[in-house]
Amino acid sequence: MSTNATDKLDRILRRDAAEELRDAGFSARVMSALPAPQPRRAAGLNPVLVTGSAALGGLLAVLFAPSEANVVQGMIDLFQRQVLTPAAYASIGLSATLLVSAVLLAREN
Amino acid sequence: MSSDAAPSDAELIVAVLGRDDRRAFTRLVERHQSRVRTVLRRLTKGDMALADDLAQETFVLAWRNLRSFRFEARFSTWIYRIAFNAWQSEARKRREVAMDLDEDSPPGGSESFEEMPDIVSRMDLERAMAELSDGERAAISACYYADLSHEEASEALGMPLGTVKTHILRAKAKLRARLAMKETT
Repeated sequence: MSTNATDKLDRILRRDAAEELRDAGFSARVMSALPAPQPRRAAGLNPVLVTGSAALGGLLAVLFAPSEANVVQGMIDLFQRQVLTPAAYASIGLSATLLVSAVLLAREN
Repeated sequence: MSSDAAPSDAELIVAVLGRDDRRAFTRLVERHQSRVRTVLRRLTKGDMALADDLAQETFVLAWRNLRSFRFEARFSTWIYRIAFNAWQSEARKRREVAMDLDEDSPPGGSESFEEMPDIVSRMDLERAMAELSDGERAAISACYYADLSHEEASEALGMPLGTVKTHILRAKAKLRARLAMKETT
């Protein structure tokens, strides 16, 4: 194979590749084929929603829980390793809710 | 300070990812459409309508998967990879695409064609390219039309580096023969 022929073919291919194709509406067609924009929530809204839901859930849990399911009592029970009391369950549930909220907020940020 | 310098591909991608900026993506499409469509025209043997459909599919897929773009690679390399995949999927739908080495094909590099013309019409080149095997056409499209290195082409096409090099050699030998034949007739 001669170098001359190789160079010629390289030149021919590169010249052909470099020829600019006119857009002729192609980009507009692509943009109209893209999925519709998703409505975006305001940036500061998510933390408010997550924290608010957690606070409301916690409040409702405390208000409607049986009288023996007192959160403070639950903490005491847990410290005393009495895991199976209703109050301990309520404390674990509330702590889990707060933990999930914290994780969601951390991921959001 | 060049405040009105055109933003780089990376800056446009950051704008798309951060603000869902469609104008930034439009600029990316405008910037790369010519090369992507040319590559696909060569791959589809000059079928312009199919090439444009595949190019459109390529950019839509790029939009959907832009979060998976790794900034250490060039955007063009990444988008060509999507284009090659789109072409391979389409070719598989129509028939089995053969990207492996064709053992019956003569090995390149032994022929000498001194009669290569200086100027070749686009149509003659298109016809000559259409006679190459799928693998050879893909390798030439990747290395000359998409301007990828052999290594990048190997990755984009999903074929071993040695196969890419062999495809290039064989394809060039066939193209030289075909174009020289055209010159003498």
